[in-house]
Order: sequence, then C-alpha cells, then structure tokens
Amino acid sequence: MKRSFAILVLFMFVFAGVSFAGAAPDKIVIGHPACLSGKYAKAGEQAVGGIKACVDWVNNFNGGVKIGGKKVPLEYKYYDCESKKEAVTSLIGRLITVDKVDVVFAPYSSGLTLRGAPVAESHQMLYMDHGGANNKIFRQGFRSIVQTIGPATSYHMGTLDMIHQIDPDAKKVALAYEDSEFAKMVMEGAKDHAKALGFQVVFERTYPKGVTDLTPLLSALKASKPDFVLGGGHFEDGQLFNRQMADLNINVNALSLIAAATLPAFYKALTTMAEGVMGPSHWEYGVKYSGEEAQATGLPWIGPSQEEFLELFKKATGEDMLPDYHAAEAGAQVLAYVLGAQGADSVDSKKVRDVLGELQFMSFYGGWDVDDSGMQVGHTMVDVQWQDGTRVIVWPEEAQTGKVCYPMPTFQEKVKGAKAVPK
Amino acid sequence: MFFEQLGGNLIQGVVLGAVYGMATMGLSLIFGVLKVVNVGHGAFIMVGAFVTLFLFSSLGISPIIAVPVAFMVGMGLGLIFYYTTIRKLIKAPELATLLATFSMGVLLEELVKLVFGSEFRGYNWEVGKIDLGITVLPMAKLYACAGSILIAVLLFLWFKKTRAGSAVRSVVEDSEGARVCGINVGGAYALSFSLGIGLTVASGVLLTMFIPVGINPYMGGGYTLKAFVIAVLGGLSSPYGAFFGGLVFGLIENGSYTLFAYIPGVEPFALTRFLSFVILLVILLIRPTGILSAK
Repeated sequence: MKRSFAILVLFMFVFAGVSFAGAAPDKIVIGHPACLSGKYAKAGEQAVGGIKACVDWVNNFNGGVKIGGKKVPLEYKYYDCESKKEAVTSLIGRLITVDKVDVVFAPYSSGLTLRGAPVAESHQMLYMDHGGANNKIFRQGFRSIVQTIGPATSYHMGTLDMIHQIDPDAKKVALAYEDSEFAKMVMEGAKDHAKALGFQVVFERTYPKGVTDLTPLLSALKASKPDFVLGGGHFEDGQLFNRQMADLNINVNALSLIAAATLPAFYKALTTMAEGVMGPSHWEYGVKYSGEEAQATGLPWIGPSQEEFLELFKKATGEDMLPDYHAAEAGAQVLAYVLGAQGADSVDSKKVRDVLGELQFMSFYGGWDVDDSGMQVGHTMVDVQWQDGTRVIVWPEEAQTGKVCYPMPTFQEKVKGAKAVPK
Repeated sequence: MFFEQLGGNLIQGVVLGAVYGMATMGLSLIFGVLKVVNVGHGAFIMVGAFVTLFLFSSLGISPIIAVPVAFMVGMGLGLIFYYTTIRKLIKAPELATLLATFSMGVLLEELVKLVFGSEFRGYNWEVGKIDLGITVLPMAKLYACAGSILIAVLLFLWFKKTRAGSAVRSVVEDSEGARVCGINVGGAYALSFSLGIGLTVASGVLLTMFIPVGINPYMGGGYTLKAFVIAVLGGLSSPYGAFFGGLVFGLIENGSYTLFAYIPGVEPFALTRFLSFVILLVILLIRPTGILSAK
C-alpha cells in the first residue's frame, strides 16, 4: 500500500513537473485596436497588412513560436478603433479581459498610443508601440511598453550625420518647423545632434499649424544664409515650405522636410521644385537590410526578406500595393515579439518584456534595440531624396539605393528642368 | 538688414493683401445687400482653387483663364443656392441664414472630397520672377495682385456705371423705396448673391496663383477667419472697404512679423495672429461698422 502511494506521489510530481516545464499554450494571441477608419485609416490599413504578413511568415515559414519545446501558432485579433481615443481604451480592456490576448499592439499615432498605455499598464500587459514616435510616451514611467518605431528625436539624426560626412564645409543649419508637439520633439533631437556634430544653428523659428503664408519667416531664414535647412511638421506645411523657398530663391545645399517629402503627393504637387529635396522615413521599400547585412553587423536575423514581405503583404491585403513604413514597423514588431517570447520561453508579459529589454536583432525593417524605458534606439531612420521624380534612399549607406545629390540644384536651375543627379 | 527685411515683407504684404481683399469682397457684397453672413465663405474659395487645379492639371489651361471660368462657376452656384435656400430665408432670423450658409460650405467640402479625395494637392505654374533686391516676387503673385485690382475696379465701375449696379445700390440704400420705384428687389438680391459667390470663387483662383499648394477640400477654414477680420476692418457691408481692408491686413500680417522678430523669446508668427484678432476686437469695440466704412 505504502509502495503504491509512493509511486502515485512520484507520478504526480513527474506529471506536474512536465506540465510546468512545458507550459506551452495552444496559441499565442496578439491583440490590436487597429485604426481601420477615421483619420488614421490609411496608416492603420497598412499596419494591419504588415502584421498579418508577418504572422503568416511566423506560422507558415517559421512553423510558429518555439515555447516549451513546441511550436505555437500566432493568432491576430483586432478591432477597429476608428482612430478614436475613447475606443482605444475600451478595446484594449476588452482584448485583455474578454479575448485574453497575450500581448497588445498599440494603435497608430502618438496620441492614441499614449491613451492606451495606462490601460495596458494597469493589467501589466505587454504593450508594443509601432506607430507612436513621441518621446513623451517613454517619459511617463510605464514599465510594460516597448517601441518599434523610432523616436521623434531621431528623425533628423541620419540627415545630419550624412551632411557631416559628405560636406565638412557645411557649418550652418537653419531649423524652421511647425509649432506642434511632434515637430518640436523632432527638432529638439535635431538641434542636440547638430550641436554635437559641430554645426551652428543660425536660425530657429516655428510657425503655427494651418499657416498659409511662410514668406516672412522664410525671408528671415534666407538672411541667416544657412548651408542647409531642416524643417516641416505635416504634409500641407511641408508643401508650402518647399514652394515658398522656391518663390524666394532660397538656395541651400540640402533641404529636409519631415512628414511631407517622402510622400508621392509631395512631388506630384511640386514637380521639379521637389527635385533634390529630402525627408526622413522609418522605412522605404527598397532598403537593403538582409541576413548578410545582419551577419556583418553581428546581429541575429529574423523574418522574411524584403521581397518575401512584399509578397506576404500583398497576400494579406488582397491588393497589389506596396507596403509603406507603417506596414513594415508593425510587421517587424511581430518578429520582435516572437524573439521575446522565445527568449522568455513564456508568454508572460513581464518575462517577455524583460527579454525585449535586452534584445537586439535585424529584420527587413532594420535594427531593433530598446533602452531601459522601452524606447527604440536600435533602428536607424532612412533618408529619402527625390531624384528625377523617383524616391531614392540615400542614407544610411547600408540601406541606400543610390548616392545622394549634394548640393541639390538651385531653384533657378530647377525651373529650367534640372534634375537632382548624384555627382 | 532690418529695413531690408521690413521693406521686402511690406512689398509681399501689399501683393498678398490685394488678393486677401479680393477674397473678402464677395463676403462684404452679400452682407451689404442681403444682410446674410456667409460663414461658408471659405468653401467657395476652395471651389475656385479646385477649378484652377482641374483646368491646369487636367487640361493645361492657364490659371489666368481659370479666373473668368471660376467666376461663372461661382455665379451659377450662387444662383442655385439663392433660389433653393437663401431666398426663402431672407426674412428669417439671422441664425437661419448662418446655418444655411454653414451647411452650404459643408456640402461643398464633402462634394469636392467625394470627387477629388482629401489629399493636399498643388500645381506648378512657372512664369518667372522679379528680383527686387530686397525680396523676390514670382510673376504668378504679381498676376494675382494685378487681377485682384482689376476685378475691384471692374466691380466699382459696374456699380457706378450700369443700370444693374445702380439698382443694387438702391436696394442697399432702401429696399422698400427701390421696390416702390419699380426695381426688381428679388432680382437684385439674386444678382448680388451670385455676384458675391462668383467673386469669392474667382478669388480662390487668385489665391492659388499666390500659393499653389495645400489645395484640399478643407482649405477654406483659415481664409474664412481672415475674411471676417478683413471685412470688419474695411466695413462689413462695403466691398471696396473690404479690398482696402485686405491691403491693410496684408501689410500688418507681413510687416509686424519683422518687428516682432526683434522681441527676444517670442515666436513672431504667434504674435502676428494675436495682433490680427486684437485689431478685430478693438475695431468691433470702437467702430463696429469698420474703420474704412463711410460714416
């Protein structure tokens, strides 16, 4: 009797031990309040396509997420938050408490990301940010958040590094930007980095949202005789900025505008006046991040190649369209989560968050690394320049699809049809 | 350097101010004759901008030709809105016409959005520049300024020299008296409303000649605000006052920037807007009929 009891106890211990060691769930669920309608619908549609594409890659090419010795499939659960703050908070609550998701992906934009963060935090749920660039998100003391998109302060760092490298004579930079939270944050980072590189900020002014005439500001900027200009805020004022610099013949070696210059509609509106104008972007189709590149930089590689991602994205959206950076950063976030969960051998939010804090890797989106606050520090922005009506990635060198045209043609030359051609 | 920048900005201010003035004349004309405040004013400017964009980008037609085309489109829209809405509301409380014109604006914005989408568009009409030493003036801006002055003069002559113009003036003076004298007051109202809308839509063309980017269905909001400031500055019911009010506004907006730039620690653009609305409030307090209106 005693022997039977001992065997039973031993069996129970062994069974329990196996159960604990192999606490692999049947599936891992990513929850997402997606912006499928409202003002961020276009970005949201891209993000959902990017996530679906990478979930597809994880399940069908990677065999799932390796946890507890077995491969677990990913599932993607999303609702339309209509780009509204109030919907974000309630949907995150629902995803965590009703749908029992294992991780929450934040919605697009800094405002919506920030609105959802306290909800995820109160449930100690891992909250991954692929669309909120504002550094302030990471100054609130949240412990469950990690970022994939680069922070706003990093937007112009690549531009400054590039000019510092290719033109040692360039010393004077002018900053003119929209009086908005986002643009101020971008320029705060640009100003610090410019000073660190030895540039002299000869002009710094803001302009209000919805401005219709920048002539007085640009006249003052012209008088400061900068070597290059960093500016912008949103798409509409970026167009106006470029147009009125052309009107006033303000010729500089380089002009880089945030949030405007990388979009096709920018060139469509300005045509030749946009030649040579640059803009920072988180990712562009055509970047050359690869397994070989990762090996060369000593980073582990995960995920599809760029071409594979393109095909998976088209399959996911059912449309023959190119993914933009909203899709790429959301997709890369899936890959980061997979590495985090595999590293933790668990889906426990805290354990995965701890692993993500130490994680470094490269994917088709580029590098990935976060600091203690969860803010992205490993991803480098790319700089795009309009050359003969085409967007060319000119920086960083490891991602470039063409050389930079520097200095860009003067506006008088552009009127005569000059194109930005690298020398 | 200071005087160079101030001079340059004042020149730019005069050119822009003429276009602002022209963009406000329609608002003042409609208020002067019908006592209707067109809060959908900016949407009609937007229609003019899209007329230019369509003609230039799709058919290669010069923005100069777009001015009369837009004017005719505006006249047509004015007649449609007058006979379908405004005519029935002329004697109604002011809130009714405010809501009606607001609705017209929203209707136009959504219709244009339906057809063209909501993205910001622009066009590139390069016709040379004049370098004045202290500033550079694109010829397109000069054409816009000249066009505005020409239209203001033509409107003045129409009011003074034609029977229709005289009829409208008599309705402004005393509508009952005009009716007794056999003037078709309803016809004068319809003509004034459609003329006001025509001028506003045409001004949209001139504004895009000045700033040929940022064209989208919701671009009119900012111009509506400015138009109200200018209209009050020039006298709410006087189209000519509005034109001169525009000139003054352009000078203040551009000239004050240079002055404010010398105040340490302030962003000049924030103060130019502040100043515009301080002026509006002060005028409303001390001379509600506008500083340029006749006593």
